Amino acid sequence: MAEPLLEVRDLHKSFGGLHALRGLTFNIAAGETLGLIGPNGAGKTTVFNLIMNELKPTAGEIRFEGKNIARLATHARVKRGIARTYQVPKPFGEMSVAENIRVCMATDDLWKLISGRPDEAAERDIGQSVGFTDQQIGVQPSELSMGDLRRLEMARNIAVRPKLLLLDEVFAGLTLGEIAQISELLVEKKQKEGLTYIIVSHDLRALAPLVDRVLVLSFGALIAEGSFEEVINDEGVREAYLGQ
Amino acid sequence: MDKTTLKLLGGWLLFGVIMCLLPLVVSTGTLRILIFAHFLAIFAMSWDILSGRTGYISFGHPFLIGIAGYTTAILSFRYGVPIYFSIPAAVAATMVGGTLFFVPALRIRGTYFALVTLAFMEILYQMTKVVAPKVTGGTRGISGIETIVTGAVPNYYLTFAAMFVIGLLLWLLVRTRIGIALSAIQMDEEAVKSAGLNTTKLKLFAFMVSAAVAGIGGAFYVHYLGSIAPRGIFEINFLFTILIAALIGGAGTIVGPIIGAYFLTMLLEFLRPVLPGMERYFLYGIVALVVYVYQPNGIHSLLASARRHLSVGKS
Amino acid sequence: MAIQILIHGFLLSGLYALIAIGFTMIFSVGRVLNLAYGVYIMLGGYTYFMAAQEAGLPVFVSFILALLSGVAFGLLTYELLVRRLENNPVAVEISTLILAVVMQAAIILIFSPSPKSMWPVLRGVLRFEEVSVTANILLATGVSWVVLALLMLFVRRTHLGRAIRAVSMDRRGALISGIDPRNISRVTWGLSGALGAIAGVFFATITQLDPHMWVFPLITAVAVVIVGGIGSILGGLIAAHIIGFLETITTTLIAPELRGVVTMALIIVVLVVMPKGLFGKEEL
Repeated sequence: MAEPLLEVRDLHKSFGGLHALRGLTFNIAAGETLGLIGPNGAGKTTVFNLIMNELKPTAGEIRFEGKNIARLATHARVKRGIARTYQVPKPFGEMSVAENIRVCMATDDLWKLISGRPDEAAERDIGQSVGFTDQQIGVQPSELSMGDLRRLEMARNIAVRPKLLLLDEVFAGLTLGEIAQISELLVEKKQKEGLTYIIVSHDLRALAPLVDRVLVLSFGALIAEGSFEEVINDEGVREAYLGQ
Repeated sequence: MDKTTLKLLGGWLLFGVIMCLLPLVVSTGTLRILIFAHFLAIFAMSWDILSGRTGYISFGHPFLIGIAGYTTAILSFRYGVPIYFSIPAAVAATMVGGTLFFVPALRIRGTYFALVTLAFMEILYQMTKVVAPKVTGGTRGISGIETIVTGAVPNYYLTFAAMFVIGLLLWLLVRTRIGIALSAIQMDEEAVKSAGLNTTKLKLFAFMVSAAVAGIGGAFYVHYLGSIAPRGIFEINFLFTILIAALIGGAGTIVGPIIGAYFLTMLLEFLRPVLPGMERYFLYGIVALVVYVYQPNGIHSLLASARRHLSVGKS
Repeated sequence: MAIQILIHGFLLSGLYALIAIGFTMIFSVGRVLNLAYGVYIMLGGYTYFMAAQEAGLPVFVSFILALLSGVAFGLLTYELLVRRLENNPVAVEISTLILAVVMQAAIILIFSPSPKSMWPVLRGVLRFEEVSVTANILLATGVSWVVLALLMLFVRRTHLGRAIRAVSMDRRGALISGIDPRNISRVTWGLSGALGAIAGVFFATITQLDPHMWVFPLITAVAVVIVGGIGSILGGLIAAHIIGFLETITTTLIAPELRGVVTMALIIVVLVVMPKGLFGKEEL
């Protein structure tokens, strides 16, 4: 079997006396879509924060493409091919959609940043590929709807050319129509660019058709793993959800 | 280059031509005042490229200007080093010395950065009094420093050329993608990291450019005045004037600080007969506070919106 | 010599702790830095000077007047500037610096730029073996500790105090307590002004009154916060003592002018080696 894209080994995180994660282990293969679900406070977002180095793990190991990435800063992880979205979209507020994409397309080479021209055609392509019209590309985020903001998050993440995309509550605050659009976009991007996803969502109905496999977290521990049907019929999972 | 950039470059050219013709019509007294405006503009732009862009507010720019001023003053006055060598040395010293002190401070969040840089300025003031007063001249400083050119007109052209070149280069710089990346740091530094950019490298770059500009300005300033003393350089009022020039003009725009510097220097001259002493800082401060609280984007944005209104009116 | 340093270091540190706590209160509740804090110290000093030395009012009355001037100016800073710019820490920082410069200019206009020396609040010198200590600095330290203790009681024992503590931990804390967050801010700014003014009276008696005197205490407060770490009262107290002792050692053994230089060196070392400070819970 091919080497997994991302391997997480015995990951622990505690905040003072509070254990947010207690020994999480999982793999994800390239091209796979993994769902990550669990009650509030189960530690799902913490997993993302640790993978991106926005938090430091108390113990454990994260390997990406076979290499331990513990020593890599956030931006270096992004350069290796990991990107994430946030529960609450965080665009650069005083920049247009195109400029938001431009920042994410920037290289880390200072000289190229100064001498090179922005690739406006590519910015427009990325904008269009997530469904923005030419007119919308020029507007500021304050004029966008929640669905459009999620789209902008996708556009920014596509602009950094990731291999693995961590999606945090991508369906929250969206109408059913918007959910369908975002889902379609996810499937399309996966087919075109061979992306791998880890999706955190409370919206199980939206999640079900997208995922190959689901992990269930409760109080920082993995309580079930399997296909969507297996997991939602699991006794322990039902208890964890109902018991909260 | 795109159309807007070319059009605006025309504006720079016009500004350059007008300012070059100015000595034909105004008195040398006015020129001497404008020389100070040019220095203030250089310092305010130096502040702007770091603080106005990235949101890391520096209260320590007098510290950088002071390093440059003292380096070139000591080298040329005490050791007889020619100024075409001591000025570049001063700029290099500002970049190195500034980095040694400021870079630890760039590790902390924006808010505390300001206070730490303020502390540096204050303490360099203390140190010039105690450490090697034979070299630095202690509290009294050094006077009789060689000047680059003499007379109001040559100094006017020299300082204007320095300001114009620095301003144009910085303005072109912030219009590149690095300018956008630096403003993004001010909006959300974490998100810039998530975009795969090394923000430490970007901030360090902005800082280095800022220090270099402060160094050039500081060195020329000392060779214009012919003297340097700790009071006058490491002083809150000096910091305050730089800050206000950048803020009143419009932070983060490079053009704003130039406008602000001219405006402030003119206002000062206008007020001098009425308010000869410290009152002017009192008045300045109150005006600055009101402007800042109600129009934080400064004159530059007022002009920009006026232009928009005019062009809307025409069409 | 050693005993001298020990006693003076201890006495100075108490005053520094008071200065620093007044400063950090604002940050922990509002997440903004108040650069006009040094002005409360200056204002306390000058008000006391006017009342006690110029108008000849009794010491206690003058002291209360100084305290009230701090409260008033603290509230004024909040109402006129900070409340309008609340969500923008950079704007608050810049506008409070401008305010400080305005006040510096105002003091120069009223009192002239030259320094004024202030009589001690309490006269007399106490001797312990070979060490002599002025009654004034002893009083300063005593008052500092009493004020700090009262502040602790207020924060831990009263409903309002607990609400302030809740807000400093989590901005939503105020909603739970049922108190208008605006009022919590007002109380904090008033208190901060009072602490600054009290410290200012004593600070002016052990140094001197001059229009520039607001800068040094402000930097000391920042140093205490950086060394002690944000959100740790104990850390702040210990850091105040580290800085107080370091300064006393430098000023007695090396040169009085080097007072601030050691503090700066300490700030840099702490920033490089441990960005959370000695006891901090979050990065600066």
